[in-house]
Amino acid sequence: MTENAPGSVDLGRGLTLPNPVGLASGTAGYGFELEQLIDINRLGALYTKGTTMDARAGNPPPRVAETGGGMLNSIGLQNPGVDAVATTYAPRWTGWSIPIIVNIAGGSVDEYVHCVSVLEPVSEVAGIELNISCPNIAQGLDFGRDPAEAARLVAAVRAVTQRCVIVKLSPNVTDIAAVARAVEDAGADAVSAVNTYIGRKIHRATGRSVLPLGTGGLSGPAIQPLALAAVAAVCDAVHIPVIGVGGIIDAASARDFLIVGACAVQVGTATFVNPETALQVLDGLRVDDY
Amino acid sequence: MTADLSRAALETGEVLVVERLGGGLLELVARLPHLAANAMPGTFAQLRCGTSTTPLLRRPFSVAWTHDDTCGFVFEAVGAGTRLLAALQPGDPLDTLGPLGNGFSVVDSGSVVCVSGGLGCAPFPLLINALRRRGVEDILVLNGARTATRLYPAERFARPAVPVVAEATDDGTRGHHGPVTELLQQALSSRPTAIYACGPNAMLGAVMGTLLESGADLPPTLEASLEAPMGCGFGTCLGCALPVLGEDGVTVWRLCCTDGPVMPMRDVDWDGLRALPGADVA
Repeated sequence: MTENAPGSVDLGRGLTLPNPVGLASGTAGYGFELEQLIDINRLGALYTKGTTMDARAGNPPPRVAETGGGMLNSIGLQNPGVDAVATTYAPRWTGWSIPIIVNIAGGSVDEYVHCVSVLEPVSEVAGIELNISCPNIAQGLDFGRDPAEAARLVAAVRAVTQRCVIVKLSPNVTDIAAVARAVEDAGADAVSAVNTYIGRKIHRATGRSVLPLGTGGLSGPAIQPLALAAVAAVCDAVHIPVIGVGGIIDAASARDFLIVGACAVQVGTATFVNPETALQVLDGLRVDDY
Repeated sequence: MTADLSRAALETGEVLVVERLGGGLLELVARLPHLAANAMPGTFAQLRCGTSTTPLLRRPFSVAWTHDDTCGFVFEAVGAGTRLLAALQPGDPLDTLGPLGNGFSVVDSGSVVCVSGGLGCAPFPLLINALRRRGVEDILVLNGARTATRLYPAERFARPAVPVVAEATDDGTRGHHGPVTELLQQALSSRPTAIYACGPNAMLGAVMGTLLESGADLPPTLEASLEAPMGCGFGTCLGCALPVLGEDGVTVWRLCCTDGPVMPMRDVDWDGLRALPGADVA
């Protein structure tokens, strides 16, 4: 580690990331695959796959489609359910130095509260990221679109956890800053922005949508300028830490988010292309970048 | 269950040649010592196509064969990614991640039939080599393609001793005039103890249909290498779901990349697979 290597990031409520570079939810599973491919414990955080109250089988395939500079996904939150994460997965994180931040998704306030409560006594969990913005499940966007609904959800979760609560914001809104302010006022410790953009791809041979549900979430370098604008707006709107995510492929594209005011970043789709991308981002950042 | 990725590694190799085999078939040969030393029959590598962000995702290719520190891949230039691979020149770097996925169970006795449709030839040279090393000599390759020029050359399925290769073409330009499954019907009379299949998912479904309609007992080893649009190739994006029959007969999604690409054909929900939309070639 060099003298100018990026330092720790305090997200509040005792959650300090050892460095600003994390693996974005939905692109790193629960870490068990990447742990075999890269030195995962050098990274600042692992934001897990979106986890729900009950196990979810996910959407019918095809679930992914490549687009110019990006990809669409419609995974449908395939996950084993929060109980399995708490009892089966969490013990496997024992001894990992990378903070594990469990991403929670749900269709109702009660489901989110249940998941957060189940994880509260699990010592391997460092923090919670609320996914109020999954574009691929029914109801998944409702909380993310309406500032009042988002605030209601955050307040309910705030009441059952002492852990740092990060709220992952949807870019598929008219005014992302308004949602960010609402969740800050409701007790969120930090926000991450952005989740995927709603997109569609037409199968050129059939004239039909490639993804069975029609639309999916667009990620990859194609969205980086869009995400950057959204993150800049969020940084201007709130006083809590902002984590930038969207289309990062290298240190330069990560640095952009730090320049507009983010204190940390998440690397997502680029990990699919090169599992070492997040480490390369970390190694390419310097303290004077932010 | 978490996939075992202990053999997988990023490796930048050197392109030795991209050979035009005719009919659009291409064979890419590259010096890739790690992959050559670790690839098992039926496993694949994720190849980066170019260095730009379009196309963004790697493309999965079966390791067709290995020789010393080199590997071969068979493909056609049908999309943006494969066109870039086709344009590679000797000496160019080749960015790979592999080996990935579960390969074939390599039997050590009995009579073996390999059923190939189109680019489904790709995993068989490595498989046949492994079978031979285990002493299996009774190997019949059934090789089908749309037309003669698109048949993978018989002598490339194994070197130096070429196995018995029966060919079929949809247009009758070489070998049997008709689908490769009609050759399989004839081959079943010899009661193979292992059948391995690779090709488009629809062709694999037809192979299973042929086996079931024959009324013969299914061979103890009956495996197919399947395909699905893939994001990462190592089990984190969950994009490459395939319908598989669970223990209670209910269909569940399994990942082509880490639960497959080779799966027991008995386990696949062939009706569910047939109902899926066709692949989107970018």
